[in-house]
Amino acid sequence: MNDLTCDIGYKSINHAGEQLCGDHVEVVEQEDGSTVIVLADGLGSGVKASILSTLTSKIISTMLAAGLSIEECVETIAATLPVCSERGVAYSTFTIIRLIRNQTAELIQYDNPQVIILRNGDNWEYPRTETTIGGKQIFRSLIRLQEDDVFIAMSDGCPHAGIGIGYNFGWKREDIISFMEAMSLCGYTARNLSTLLVDECNKQYGGEPGDDATACVVRVRRRVPMNLLFGPPSNRDDGDRMMSLFFAKEGKHIICGGTTSSIAAKWLNKPLRPSLDFTGDIPPIAYLEGVDLVTEGVITVNRVVEYAKDYLSENKHYEDWSYGEDGASLISRLLFDEATDINFYVGKAINPAHQNPDLPINFNIKMNLVQELSDALKKMGKRIKVSYF
Amino acid sequence: MKVLVCIGSSCHIKGSRAVVERLQELIAKENLQDQIELGGSFCMGKCQQGVCVTVDGEFFSVSPETVTSFFEKEMKARV
Repeated sequence: MNDLTCDIGYKSINHAGEQLCGDHVEVVEQEDGSTVIVLADGLGSGVKASILSTLTSKIISTMLAAGLSIEECVETIAATLPVCSERGVAYSTFTIIRLIRNQTAELIQYDNPQVIILRNGDNWEYPRTETTIGGKQIFRSLIRLQEDDVFIAMSDGCPHAGIGIGYNFGWKREDIISFMEAMSLCGYTARNLSTLLVDECNKQYGGEPGDDATACVVRVRRRVPMNLLFGPPSNRDDGDRMMSLFFAKEGKHIICGGTTSSIAAKWLNKPLRPSLDFTGDIPPIAYLEGVDLVTEGVITVNRVVEYAKDYLSENKHYEDWSYGEDGASLISRLLFDEATDINFYVGKAINPAHQNPDLPINFNIKMNLVQELSDALKKMGKRIKVSYF
Repeated sequence: MKVLVCIGSSCHIKGSRAVVERLQELIAKENLQDQIELGGSFCMGKCQQGVCVTVDGEFFSVSPETVTSFFEKEMKARV
């Protein structure tokens, strides 16, 4: 094991007028620390394509994760997929990216646009070996991972974007490469990179995609630990223990909550300086030497949870938190963009003032927030540890 | 004179933002920037009486509705 980690993110848009997407991405983590990602594009669009691509990606990822060979996977798919009544074929193209212990990536590509690899921000034409399995031409590559490598897998809806609208032959591979090269090293997450690519495709299609388009991005990065303190401990005597554990940890430190930050300020013996800059409807942040970010508690964290949920579903608020200067945006950037390993230190003290039924905050909400936030962050592929005091 | 306004969760919900903005406005209007230092503070432990404001350490309960008379009586008059 090294200290690299893979940030995986993907996004799809549907063929105009369709409710289901004919592309499907499946990510399966194995016990030995490997990950199998399959992007499948079913023939046509709508329900039929959706069934084909879902079956294909599920079968491949499950079989590969169980240690079976790619030959067996392809044969199984050929024998299992339902045959399309209109076209008389059972067909779904696929791209497999298998990340082995964050050291090596194995690429297996069948008929999807060739995976783009950006190394140090530049396009890299990596070696590929051609094999034929069951009459299908399959390209395989084995790549040793480096920090900042970006893998971009697409369905053909991406290079086909703009056919007959802006371009004669669609959005060319070279143009997609130069579009992505410009953004690969700016610190965008895999999820945001795939969103940017697919949103651009949607724009090229004039907002009415002529095909399902999917982008799946894998970003190789170094692990970044982060620590978040939220709420005072239920037993006052645990304050010092909680603080010394929190401040002993490597990585940036975030403190949420007024009382909590006062306790930290006392422990650090430094003045807590709240600011009066109201940006948006989130309470202002504060400054404390030795802490990277100090914010208000429940209201701010509640907004972070909203951003996290949106990030995992439609991802339409990413511009709000990507540029915002309020506490919630700052926390979101640190947690979603920067961190890979997050330690939560949650105090279970009950603030008597918050138990007023007129206020929309109470103890249960606070505990739920921590639960929802850590669940969402886990879905983003981050390692989460929660300690209660 | 040092005036602190609580910007904690509870006071935020009760309108501390409006109080701060109104006070900033009044201080600017009366040209008292040199005499009055306005600052934020986290929870003062009296959330039930929010919005919590202290004037040189003396505690007051203010709301967005009462902020103007509070300024006249407790701040401007004392400068």
